[in-house]
Parts: sequence; structure tokens; C-alpha cells
Amino acid sequence: MNSTRRSKPAARALAWHRSVWFEWLQFLVLFGLVLALTIHGAQSMDYQWKWAKVPKYIYRVIDGELIWGPLMKGVFVTLDIAWKAGILAMLIGLATALLRLSGTIVGSALAWTYIEVIRNTPILVQVLIFYFIIAAVLGIPREWAGVLCLAFYEGAFTAEIIRGAIVAVAKGQREAGQSLGFSRVDMYRDIVLPQALPLMLPPLGGILVNLVKHSAIVSVIAVFDLTTQARTVVSDTFMAFEIWLTTAAMYLVMTVTLSLLVAWLERRYKVH
Amino acid sequence: MKLTTRLLAILLLMPLLCLQPALAQQDNTLDNIKKRGRLVVGFGSFIPWAMRDKQGQWIGFEIDVSAKLAKDMGVSVDLVPTAFDAIIPSLIANKFDVIIGGLTVTPVRKEQIDFSDPYSTSGQGVAASKAIAAKLKWPDDYNSAGVTWVCRRGTASCKIIEDKWPKAVIRQFDDDAIAFQEVINGSAHAIVSSEPKPTFFSLKNPDRLFKPTGENVSNSVEGFGVRKGSPVTLAYFNDWIVKNKDWLTQRHTYWFKTQEWAALVP
Amino acid sequence: MSELKSRRLTVRARTRFTRWDLVLAMVLVLAVAGLLWRASGVFSYKWAWSTVWPFVFRFDELTASWVPNLLAEGLATTLRLAFWGILAASLIGTVMGFARVSQRLVFRLIGTAYVMLIRNIPPVVFVFVFVYFIASQIMPTLALGDRAKELSPALQWWVSVFFGTPKLLDNFLLGLLCLSVFSGAYVTEIVRAGIQSVPQAQIEAGNSLGMSQADVTRFVVLPQAFRNVLPPMAGQLIQLIKDSSLVSLVSIQELTFMAQDVQITTQRVFEVFVFTGAIYFVICFTLSQVFASLERRYARALK
Repeated sequence: MNSTRRSKPAARALAWHRSVWFEWLQFLVLFGLVLALTIHGAQSMDYQWKWAKVPKYIYRVIDGELIWGPLMKGVFVTLDIAWKAGILAMLIGLATALLRLSGTIVGSALAWTYIEVIRNTPILVQVLIFYFIIAAVLGIPREWAGVLCLAFYEGAFTAEIIRGAIVAVAKGQREAGQSLGFSRVDMYRDIVLPQALPLMLPPLGGILVNLVKHSAIVSVIAVFDLTTQARTVVSDTFMAFEIWLTTAAMYLVMTVTLSLLVAWLERRYKVH
Repeated sequence: MKLTTRLLAILLLMPLLCLQPALAQQDNTLDNIKKRGRLVVGFGSFIPWAMRDKQGQWIGFEIDVSAKLAKDMGVSVDLVPTAFDAIIPSLIANKFDVIIGGLTVTPVRKEQIDFSDPYSTSGQGVAASKAIAAKLKWPDDYNSAGVTWVCRRGTASCKIIEDKWPKAVIRQFDDDAIAFQEVINGSAHAIVSSEPKPTFFSLKNPDRLFKPTGENVSNSVEGFGVRKGSPVTLAYFNDWIVKNKDWLTQRHTYWFKTQEWAALVP
Repeated sequence: MSELKSRRLTVRARTRFTRWDLVLAMVLVLAVAGLLWRASGVFSYKWAWSTVWPFVFRFDELTASWVPNLLAEGLATTLRLAFWGILAASLIGTVMGFARVSQRLVFRLIGTAYVMLIRNIPPVVFVFVFVYFIASQIMPTLALGDRAKELSPALQWWVSVFFGTPKLLDNFLLGLLCLSVFSGAYVTEIVRAGIQSVPQAQIEAGNSLGMSQADVTRFVVLPQAFRNVLPPMAGQLIQLIKDSSLVSLVSIQELTFMAQDVQITTQRVFEVFVFTGAIYFVICFTLSQVFASLERRYARALK
């Protein structure tokens, strides 16, 4: 922001139509207009808004007991898939990055092929291949097929991040380690990785958010995540507008929370 | 940007509110069809209502019905294949004029759209996996939390499973063939789908599928789907259905009761 | 510094065939052989690539020529989506990018809201939401498909080359709009980074030369921002090609949608999906290599 912000005129009071609250007002008016357009459009289709019916798909309280509705159950499945895939993605990414840096022909070729294939095909096609071909051949159940596909997808990007961080640690450090007699394994463990870690954390946080976002793709193989539940509820009740808005909002809550968490972590372990 | 310019811009957006598609106010579907010279039909791929042949062209009962209807109206036909759970919202959103796609008449659907008189009847049947469902007793054992049913998202089959086997797990798929594949592979116990698909698939995969019962779990009628508030269009279609009753029955028998068309599809 | 940057931890001379290579190679061969053996058992048919080919091109008896069939048409649609999509997304992204760095708070709010909303929901959900909400109002109102069909045959041919058959024009435009709005959010960030990467010193230099604000933007900021924006935009084009597969979920008839259709018709899961994946790979990989070599040549020229 600073590069294009001109310095404000000093001491002169801003005209009322340039004050902050008026800017916000204009923004809200515009937002309201867009909303009104959508509602108006829906009304002309004779659409009946049934917002009152939405909460029961999120939660119900029966006899004092909290029972989660299908949408919340979908949230739990989404988060479950995301964290499992996350751990696997980190492991796959680390292994791939080390393979690429290893200096073996077969190893780096394998790693390079894996990364390029994942980066150059759509995730939808990957999920379909994973479920209809790989999972069928190896007998992997549906949910794990989704987790693995997501893990391999994010793993490719993680590998590049880890490799980039390791390479960014100055070569001099590596040579110093070698001259001090560190073995290769020790050098990685005590010199390279500790310095590479703070460089990795910000982009890895982005991977975390991406895991939640891309988990929605498992809906095509009928895993009961939030997107699948939303589609089921919509096709049962025809409340397309309300349910999809609610679902998008729930994803927003998840991703924004994760982003804030990552930002907080970054501040705590700040790179100097 | 100056304030006045911005206010002008906002004011200019207001007229968009007046821009409403002329839906639901008057019934001018028929006029639109005649003016365009095309009948736009929405349907879903559903053996044998509509399917692709070896060359990838659409054939089937609904294709024949749509073609004849268009010919009788003196217009050409535009086929719009649509995902079945989106087919009713798409009709309401004006993406096509009518749904001719084996659309079962159900009370829930009647709240959204209007149906013509029935032009065909069918029922829903069951096929089950020999690998994992052979030992289950029909129908009670199928109603347990450990049993997985599959159905096609947006069809009446899913509701039937919900009603009859409430304790079981239901997985929904966007296409019948994929859903049937789940049962064939043994990833699911059973499937409810419109006849004659369960029969056809069981005959095609005798070692993987079987029919727990020869009866239909439900019988239904199908009608053309039109937007609400289209009495003129509805009357026209009903009239056409009555006039072509014999032809409809003959075509229905060809596609549903015989296998003569089997050589056309892969 | 550049010397350090250009050397990677793995120096080429040290890439040699170690014993680990032999171990890895053996493991790989065993794994692939095992998978293929199991696959042939599960799929229980002989590989039949010949059944896929007719769905790419078929022989039309009427015209006695090879006519593109489902998969080829799907590929054409994907390419058209990518071409027009990147143009439209660039337009939206540029406008929003400038909004994000604007001095007016309201524009910054609009730009930020747009980016944050789209980048924080799953692409799948965005596609469904967009199609339900927006498209059902705009598309019927414009009725472009109908207008296209009323054009002369010559014009119709041009329309079909650039946009696909007029019959599917509404369908295509819906997918295009969806992809453009979605990618626009990412282009916005690229444009914003490009603008902000122009050093403040340049702007101050322009000002001190007596150039007006508009002139500074036009002659100093934009050319440099444009140069910075090109590499990420190339990446965004490749991303767009991949994202286009998602609109298949709302029945837009591009390559992935056709692949699903063909797979259902022929039951040849393996051949169809591998073929489709290979097509995407070839397109995206080739593009990324071309862009990388262009970047290298350009970087050399800059030195």
C-alpha cells in the first residue's frame, strides 16, 4: 500500500464526502444493490425463501441433546480429510524434496516426474483416476482414496516449497558444515533444516488453507464432506440459494480461521 | 473519481433491477418455441430413456419423443443433456422449454413445476451385489446402519431408499452407470433405479449382481415437466400425448421391453 | 549473489548412478509390474485403446470424412474457454487490481472483498454458487444463443470457430463467465503485486520531473508493472486450463465432461481417463516449458 499512497494533506479536515464512514457507506450501498439484484432475480423465478428451515440442517436440539445436522457433519468430515491429507502431504513433500536434492538419477527423475504430472493435470481428473483406477486396483476404500489424492496433490506443491527453502539456505552453510566434519544426515538435521523451517512456514500455511478448499473435490466420489451434504440437501429440498450461501459461508469461516491461525503462528516464529 | 461520478454510476445500476426476465408472468413458452423455430428439451442420460450410441450420438425413448413432438410442432429440436439434480432448477431458470427425460411425477416436484399427463409408466427396481449382499434377507436386513445403498442424485430413487430403509447409509452419484458400478465392484450393497436398468445390469453382470426381488419397489408415472403458470403450454402437450398414445406405447415397448437396440450401444 | 543463486544444492557433475539408484529402480519396476498385474485382474479386459479413438474422431458416412467427435469437441471447448477466459480474467483482474491499490477506500474495499470472497471458498463451491445465482438471471435475459442462431451462415461459421457451435453458446458463455470471475480474483493479486513492485523511487523520479499523476501511471508504473506481471500470468493461464475442468460439474461440455460421458458409454474407465489426463498434461506441460524458455531468453536479454 505504501508505495502508491500519497501523503495526506496535513491538518486540513477532510471533506465529508471523503471521510472513512462515507466510503464504507458507499461500499455497503453497492453491496446491498448486488444483493437486491440477486433477490429480485430469485423472486422473478417465483422462488420462495425458506431461511427459517436452514438451521435444522446445521444443528438441532432434541431433549436437551445437541444433534449435528448434515451440514455440520459434513464440516467434520471435511476437517478430518484435510488434517489427514495434510500430514501425508508434508511427508510426501519432504520425501520428494529430499529425492530431488539427493543427486541420484532415478530418485530425482521420479520426483521430477511426480511433481510435473501433478502440476499439469486438473485435480478433478486426478481424483477420478485415483478413485476409479488406483483405488479400484489396490482396494482402497473411498474416503482414503480421497485423502490420498488430496495428499499427493498438495504434496507436489509442498515438495517445491521445502526444496526452495532448503536451497535458499546459503550454500556456505552447507560447506561450513562439511568442513566441520558433519555427516550428511547430521548436516541436514542440525544446520540446514532449522534454518529452512522458518522460510517454509508461511507458504506451508497457505497449503493448509488449500487443503480445506480443495477437499471439496472429493464430493465427486461421494465422500460425505460439506459439499456433498450441501448438494444432497439442495436436491432434496430445492433450497438452492439458502443452502449454497450457508455452505459458502461455512467454508469462509473455516479458511479465514485457518489463515488467521497461520498468521498468528508466523508472527510468533518471525523470520529475522 | 469524483463523488458525482460515483453517485451517477450507482444510480445507473438501479435500472438493472427492472431488467427482469419475463418469466412466470405470462405463459409465452409456445410462442417462444414457434418464434425461435426450435424446441429446447432438457433431459438426463438414463438408459434406455436417453443414452449415447457407439458414435456418441443420443438415442433412446426420450430422443424419439422429443423428435416427434418437435416435428409435429413444425420446429427443430435442441437437446440439452443436464445433470439430473440440476434439471428442475434449470427448467425454472429458463435454460430449456420442457423436460422430456423420464421425470417421475412426485409431490415434492409438483411444488416446483407442473407436469403434463403421464406419457409413460415405469417402476423402480433393486439390484444388489452378490459379493456382499447375498446373505442379506430381503427386505429387512437391508435396513441397517451397516448397509450402503446407492442412487442417482436428484431422482425419485433416493427418496424411496430414505423412506423404506431409513437406517441404511445412502450414497448419491451423478450418474446411474457410476452408481451401478459401485454395486458391481462390491463397494455398495444395493441400488434402487428405474426399471429396466436393474434388470439389464443384472443380466449383463450375472456373477456380480442379482435382483433380491422381481417386483418393483415402487411404481410411477412420468410426465413432461413445464414451468408453473403455463396452462396453455400444458394443454398443448396434454393434447399431443392423447393424440399420439399408440405411437408412444409402441415406442415404449421397443425401448423398454425389447433388446433390439442393444447392438447400437457399446 | 547471482552466482550463489544459480548454483543449486545438487550440482550436476555429482549426479551419478549410485547404489541407491539401483535399489530405487528395482523397487519401481517391481511396483509397476505388480500394479499392472493387479489392474488387469480388476478390470478383467484387455486394454482396448481402439474403443477410445472413435470418440475423438468418427467417420461420418454422409460426408465421407473424419469428423470431430465428443472428445475432440470437448478439447476445442476447453481451449476456447482458456483463450477467452484469460482475456476476460485479465480485464477483470486489471480493473480490480487497480481498485485494490486505489487511494479511495471504497475501491479498496470492493477489490479486497472480491478477492477475499473468491479465494477463500473452494473452487467447486464457487462454480455451483455462481451457476445457480448469477447465470440463471443473466443468461436468459441476454439470450445470446438465440441471437447467434439468427445470424447469417457465414457469421455463424465464425462464431462456431471462436465460441463453439451456436447451439451450445449459452452453455459455453456460462462456463466462460464463471471461469473469468473466478480467475479474475487471482489475476487481481498478480496485478496488485505487479503494481506495488514498481519501486517508489521511480514514481518520485517521475514526479520530480514534473509529470502528472496520470502520466506517471501511464509511462512509468504500467510498463514496469506489465513486465513483472507476465510470468505469473503465464502460470495463471495454465491454472485456468486446469480449472476449466471444474465447470464440467455444471454440465458445461468441455473435455472432462465429455470424458465422463464417454467413460459411462464405453465402460472403459482406464483408457478414457488416462487419455484425458494425458491431453491435459501435454497441453499444460508444453505451455509451461515454452513460457520457461521465453522467460530465460528474456532474462538473458535484460542482462
